[in-house]
Amino acid sequence: MTIPDWVEPVLRYMLEVGLKGTLQIAAISLTGSVLIGVTLGTLLTIRFLPTRALIRLYIEIWRGLPILVTIFIVFFLLPVVSSQLRFDALTSAAIALTLWGSAQVAEATRGAVQSIPREQHDAAAALGFGWVGRHSFVILPQALRRLLPPLVGLLVNILQNTTIAQVIGAPELLESAERSVERLAAPVPIGIGEVKAVPIYATVMVIFFLISFPLTRFAAYLERRLVA
Amino acid sequence: MHMTTTLAVTFDWSFITENADELLAGLRRTLEVSAIAIAGSFAIGLVLGAARAHRVPVVSRIAGVYVEVIRNTPILVQIFFLFFALPQLGIILEPFTVAWLAVTIWGGAFNTENFRAGFEAVPYRYREAGLALGFGRLATFFNVTLPIGGRIALPSSINTYISVVKNTSLMYVISYPELTTTALQINALTLQTIETFTVLAVSYLVIVWTMSASIRLLESHLALPEERR
Repeated sequence: MTIPDWVEPVLRYMLEVGLKGTLQIAAISLTGSVLIGVTLGTLLTIRFLPTRALIRLYIEIWRGLPILVTIFIVFFLLPVVSSQLRFDALTSAAIALTLWGSAQVAEATRGAVQSIPREQHDAAAALGFGWVGRHSFVILPQALRRLLPPLVGLLVNILQNTTIAQVIGAPELLESAERSVERLAAPVPIGIGEVKAVPIYATVMVIFFLISFPLTRFAAYLERRLVA
Repeated sequence: MHMTTTLAVTFDWSFITENADELLAGLRRTLEVSAIAIAGSFAIGLVLGAARAHRVPVVSRIAGVYVEVIRNTPILVQIFFLFFALPQLGIILEPFTVAWLAVTIWGGAFNTENFRAGFEAVPYRYREAGLALGFGRLATFFNVTLPIGGRIALPSSINTYISVVKNTSLMYVISYPELTTTALQINALTLQTIETFTVLAVSYLVIVWTMSASIRLLESHLALPEERR
């Protein structure tokens, strides 16, 4: 059995353009989610009502909305509100996923920070640390251990949810697959005049499975190690 | 350097009355698809979760593969496969069918895990006690494991149902006219972007916030007697 001629260029395109875009969006979103989420989650543990109410609202809005709606809001609504808030599809997707991801991280961080015993705060304070120093050098490093399993889980979710950026035409794996199916369906000089949706979308599923499965296993392992 | 930040914050209230019929029709379809999928994923989760927890031969294995495949691939790709790839294999599904089927399969996989974890959290001695009282395996499940494990699984399964509702928005890609698709169509016609997305976002937040509030209510209502305070 020989591999048909169309396979190699399509696979190359999907990996070099599609998968690259997926990893790009995921990397930006994960970084943004962790930075914003850890900050907001830590601030949420301060007993000051106005900041708590604002952060709570932020979390509940971006966790509550379907990611597709958030992507549409960033891509279609922000430019209407202000002409300076116009972003390309890839950036819009990354912003939307960061809003969603940071809300998840903030909630997880709040729990992790609150799980650190009171004595740790007191001991750090006795050593002369202020609030910022206490949290950056004593509390958060310990909270990170508890935060790691949900963060790996978040990475899996972010990777999978990058596909939603397909609806605004962002260059990611599903979009590259869709374009490949369309191109191959075109008559001979451009395509091969055949619909190859089954093998192409199956390939997308296989690629995601190969990335996600080890990561979910790793997250479960981290979770078990935490309990033990 | 001059900044031109013209904030267009006018809200045309007539948008709501003028598009009420279509928006309500979209909302109705979202709720309809969600209801079918929640019922379906509850049934799948209950049966396969029990099979997983009790390590029923063959069924447990197949359920395990189903759960891993669905959880480790994006739901949007699953929707693409059902709607754009299956026709090549001679299986042509209506947008409505794909809409409820895709979220049911997805929710069922996550719910299998929710229920499995719930049933496995029931201490073995409870089941032993049931068997010692002369209950058969099935009777023990329905009288002991299900009432206790089901309660443990309840919060996480409601979270899955919330995700199911949110995921119905993805039916935009197959042009099934649920809430999001309808709103985007209205936006394309009216260009009232601020109004469209405000109504759209508020609708989802009302549904999702109501559902997550119900977790807290149900949790206290269904708490086991010894945990009630």
